Parts: sequence; C-alpha cells; structure tokens
Amino acid sequence: MPLELNHQLKIPVDRDAAARQDFVSQLRGYILNDMAVAMRKAYEHNVAPEFERKHGRAPATQDEVHDAMRSNTQFKFYSSVRYNAQEMVWRSVIPCVERALPGIEAAIERVSGSSGGTLQLDPSMAIPQNVADLPVHLMPGGYAPSASPAAGAVYDNGLAVFSAGFMGKNLDDIGLSMSNYVKFRHPDFKPERILDCGATVGHNAAAWAATFPEAEVHAIDVSASAVTYGHGRAESLGLRVHFKQMNATSLDYPDHSFDVVFTSMFLHELAVRDIEKFMAEAHRVLRPGGMLINMELPPNQELQPYDQFYLDWDSYYNMEPYYRTYRDQDPLALLSQAGFSTDDYFQFVVPQYSYMNESDFVAAIDAPQRIDGDTGRLSASLQWFGFGAWKR
Amino acid sequence: MIEDGTRRQAFFESDAVDQLVTMVLELAAEQWVLRERVYTIEKAADSLGLNLSAAVENHRFSDQEKTELAGMRKAMIDNLMRSVNREHRRPRQGAL
Repeated sequence: MPLELNHQLKIPVDRDAAARQDFVSQLRGYILNDMAVAMRKAYEHNVAPEFERKHGRAPATQDEVHDAMRSNTQFKFYSSVRYNAQEMVWRSVIPCVERALPGIEAAIERVSGSSGGTLQLDPSMAIPQNVADLPVHLMPGGYAPSASPAAGAVYDNGLAVFSAGFMGKNLDDIGLSMSNYVKFRHPDFKPERILDCGATVGHNAAAWAATFPEAEVHAIDVSASAVTYGHGRAESLGLRVHFKQMNATSLDYPDHSFDVVFTSMFLHELAVRDIEKFMAEAHRVLRPGGMLINMELPPNQELQPYDQFYLDWDSYYNMEPYYRTYRDQDPLALLSQAGFSTDDYFQFVVPQYSYMNESDFVAAIDAPQRIDGDTGRLSASLQWFGFGAWKR
Repeated sequence: MIEDGTRRQAFFESDAVDQLVTMVLELAAEQWVLRERVYTIEKAADSLGLNLSAAVENHRFSDQEKTELAGMRKAMIDNLMRSVNREHRRPRQGAL
C-alpha cells in the first residue's frame, strides 16, 4: 500500500486515484518479491545450468548473467511489468499533483518561515545535463523542469507509491536510520552543522533535523523545484532545515564549515568524475573530526554476480545511466582519492529504524553486520548500506 | 499532463508484446479501480441502512435478466476475441 504522507503539502487524492495508487503500489510489491523470487529460481534452475553446460563453468560476472537472462521469459516479464509499473507510479500521481498545484504553492507560502528554515534559489546556476535532459527514474519531465514545485510534488507523492511503505512513515527512514546510527554508534559526537547533498525534497534532511534538533541542517539540490517543495515540506513538519539550490560538485560553503556531510541514494546519480569532485568538496567543507556518510546501494564488489545483475537492473531500464558505473567503484578508493585516510574509512548495514524499537535498533548496529542480496533492495528484510570516513 | 517523450524500453522479440503488457496492466488497474468503487458503493449503501451487499448476494435473476446478461456476455466475448481466428494481412513491401 502506498504511504499516506504526513505533512501539510499532502495533496487531496480522490477515491479512484487512491485505488489506482494502491494497485500500483501492491503491483510493485508483487514484482519486487514474488516475481523477483521466481526470476531467481529460473536463473538457478534453468539459466545458470544451461550456461554451465555450454561454458563448463558458472557465470562469473553480472554481464554474463545479464546476457544469459535476456532471452529468459521470466526476465522479460519481470522487466516489462516492472518498467510499466514504474511508469504507472508517476501516472498515478501526476493528475492529482496538477489539480493540487495552486494549493501546494499556497501551502508553501503559508508555512514558509514558520519553523525557522530558509530557502535560497540560484536562477543563474546551470542545471547539470544529466538532470536537465533525462527523465531520471522515468519520471516525466525530470526533476528540474522549472522552479515550480510540481516536480518536487510528483517525486514526493510518487515515492510514496513507489516505496510501498518500505521507506518510513514520511519517506524518512533512510535519514532516520543513518542519523540514529551516528547518534548511537558515536554518542560523544555532537554535530553542530549537517549538510545533506542531492537532498531532493529534503525527506532525509528533515530526519537529521529530528534526530539532532540542536544542529543547523542544510539541504542542497540542483533542482529549484525540489528545494522549493522541500522547504515547504520541512517547515510544515516543524523541522528547521536550510534549503539551497546548489551543485554538490561545487559547494558554496567555506572550508571546515560542517561536522557531517550526508548523501542518500545520490552518488549513483553522478558520473564518476562528479563523484570525485563531490567527495573532494565534502572533504574541504568538513571540519577536522567531522564525517562524510553516504547511504547507497552496496558496491558490486561485495555481491555475487546474480545480485549485482539484479540491483543494476535500474542502470539499464530505469533511466539511471550512472547507477552501475557508481556501483562498480571501490568506495574506499573513492574516499582516499578525495583526501580521506583509509584508516578512517567505515562501512555498515543498518536495519530500518522506523519499524523497530530503539533498543532493538541499537542492539542491531552493535551486532556483526552482513551485506547480502536484500541490502538496499525494497523487500520485507530490507537493510540499508552506508559508508564514509572521518576527517582528521 | 506532464509530457513524457521518452522512447520506451522493449523486452520482448516483438514490440507488440510489450505494448500488450502495458495494455493488460492498465486494464488491470482500471478494473481494480472499478472493483474498489463497486465494493465502496455496497459498503456505503449498507452504512445508510440499504443493506445493498446482502441484496446483491440474495438477488436471483429472472429469466429475462438471465437472457439479457447472456447477451451482454456474448457481446463482450465477441469484442474481446474479435481479432482471433481472423485472417491477417501484412502490408505489402513498398505500400504506404
């Protein structure tokens, strides 16, 4: 079932639209669980043995798995239905957003400033080509078609349908899980300034503000639409976040000005050269003793070829051109190139903070952790992967 | 409607199959919307004291109603199957 958003920019959804969103959300749940299991079985029982008969060995890379799967009927149906469901996610919310847009704009104006957050746009900023030209995630119009909050609203409402209830009570579970990991794993670390880069509508920045209410939280994104909508969203939640339209590869902040630089599902949207630029910028703006912490899909080097293939589906079929090139990187190497010491590197997996008792969450982050095929995959046994480094 | 000019991904040997998958899923979504609305109508009527869901279950079709329904079913099946068992011609080479 789609998540019912719990903030004042929530839009009215009529009964038929709600039924359609429920259908799409549940269809996605079926694809990502039942159809995914069936496809894996088809691989293990038919496709892999056939490959072994032909080559005298098991598929050794995700490319070999992908090539072998292309002609498999389970793969074709899984992919076709998942691709359609992705389109249907957006189609199920766009008419509602278009009807509600004047109300959304009025709500942003009404709540702006009520919680102490700010909004700063930069109309002169060049929108990166991959954001301007591509409908990333197959979202019609893309993320930055104009300064209208429409794209931000489509993303927020679409994500609520897309995530089928797996991403927290206000789509904030990644932010809550990561910030609470930091809070409980490092109880003496008291960040005063936190920066969320590639924050889109600030759903995770708001979570950091909730976990560290004394901190000054900043959220940046290249999309004026996303930060405008995000500003209204955070203000309406009573959470103080400072939104700025800014490119994470060229941060307009002084050296040593943050204790935490955070990203969530952001690095895989960037070409490797831009990831390198961002990480160098993160290193620059961090104070000594601060941390860069990224939530991402687990790197391919940690996964078996089939799991690599499964997670990289998006790179080929969901308008995510950099997804795989990012996942092929060694996170440790990326950080050390940016100036972080390899001794200060960390990586971890966490269960979902939103769906468990805090004491169980704390016990889980202290327990030995294991990356597996469910890490980063929207499923009932979902856990998030994070990595980063302290700055000396 | 926000425009979507993206070229769509195909997975099957024939684009027609991909297009049919889209049609089936959109029909399934539409069918669900209608089914949920019928369910809601019954529940809403029940809450108004009309006991509609029980009346629907208990209704026995008259012979005339049965004949009408059979005709409607036949028309629906004819529509559904209208392309099956029909000869199909392919465009001649060079034809517009």
